[in-house]
Amino acid sequence: MKAVRVGIGLSLAVLLTLAAGALRVPAPPDFFLLVVADMARGGAVVPAMLAGLPAGLLEDGLTGPGHLLGLHAFTKILVGYLLATIGSRTIVEKPLAVGGLLAGAVLAEAATLTFLLWVLRGDVLAPAGWILLGRALSTGLVGGALHAGSRVPWRQRREARRRMRLT
Amino acid sequence: MSSPTLAARRPEILLAVLLTLCLVGLSLQVRRPGGRTAGESWLLAAASPFVDAVTALRSGAAEVGTWASSRRTLLAANRALSAEVERLEGDLLRLRDAERDKARLLELLAAQPAPPPGTAPARLIAIESSGPFRTGLLDRGAADGVRVDGVVVAPAGLVGRVIAVGPHTARLQLLSDKTAAAGVLLPRSARAAVAKGDGKGGIAVEYVPTIEPVERNDLIVSSGTDGVYPGGLPVGRVSALAKKSTLFWDIQLEPAADPRRETMVFVLPPVKRSDVTGGPGVEARR
Repeated sequence: MKAVRVGIGLSLAVLLTLAAGALRVPAPPDFFLLVVADMARGGAVVPAMLAGLPAGLLEDGLTGPGHLLGLHAFTKILVGYLLATIGSRTIVEKPLAVGGLLAGAVLAEAATLTFLLWVLRGDVLAPAGWILLGRALSTGLVGGALHAGSRVPWRQRREARRRMRLT
Repeated sequence: MSSPTLAARRPEILLAVLLTLCLVGLSLQVRRPGGRTAGESWLLAAASPFVDAVTALRSGAAEVGTWASSRRTLLAANRALSAEVERLEGDLLRLRDAERDKARLLELLAAQPAPPPGTAPARLIAIESSGPFRTGLLDRGAADGVRVDGVVVAPAGLVGRVIAVGPHTARLQLLSDKTAAAGVLLPRSARAAVAKGDGKGGIAVEYVPTIEPVERNDLIVSSGTDGVYPGGLPVGRVSALAKKSTLFWDIQLEPAADPRRETMVFVLPPVKRSDVTGGPGVEARR
């Protein structure tokens, strides 16, 4: 079930990433991180890491620098582990907290990515600050919104509306 | 005990495995400015100590081989040179002996520019003393023309006479022998006297009247009147002079030719009775 969820989530992430690129969004959210964060909810460390691997590979295929497959996979696995670990030790329920956590995850991933590129290539390739902040902000917003949306009992409301139409 | 721990650590282990896989994959893709991938660079960096060690071992082995080869060569050369040095030292000693013999022969020939026929060179190879007797051994014998009563002379003077002859050796009686005697002449007065061995390595001249002028360091020569030794050969120098009594001097001579130092001598043929003369001193007296 989780694998299907991950598959759907990653498919959507790919589509949304392509769409954001087509729309020339200056700081699109990290949709792949949202999939990983979704799997990390409740402190599921292993699913989060296992989701981070394909998510990062897909992101590398889409947005990463050429011939560096695995760069975002590394960071996504690490971020997935961190998010799951935090989720297992704290209770993060408020959308704002979730958004802030995701924004922080984006920054941490960027820092890890910079460090990794420095290790691999020998030079520092830090992203532009405002783009990074915008990406963290947008990811936090989208993530918080999705979290807030996920807390709404949509099924119960739908059932209630159906019962009201029938009556 | 370890299973629960491993199970509890499963996420971390999985994390490490996944991250390692990613790193390995990345390292195989990233190309460094030198053209190598990061993985190759890391592999080279990790392998460089081993490669350095192998290179050092190979160099060390080569050096050891070179050293061993050089050592073998040097040892062989050293052995050859040692043998050569030994041979050359032997040659040098022989040459020195030959040079010394040559010098002595030349000295002897200069003293006796015309040695009498039958003169044979010989080596004084041994000196023997038994009580008052002093004898020597020559390396020439009858086969070399040495005969009994042959006169043995050295460049410095008279040594003795041959008393026994073998085929290739001869025994001589030294002048210092207690039983040896020779007719001598005193240089200042040309007076004849008799020199006898003292049995201690020296020679004594007896029966010289105290009225005869004798001084220390006078050279006493043979007179040629004894029928054994030819005249004019140095016998010794006066080393001690004392009045034995009111009538005669007690004269001690230091032999002109020290047998202990002389190795090269000449053996003159025995003096014929007809050749016995009074010697230069006698002639002078006449």
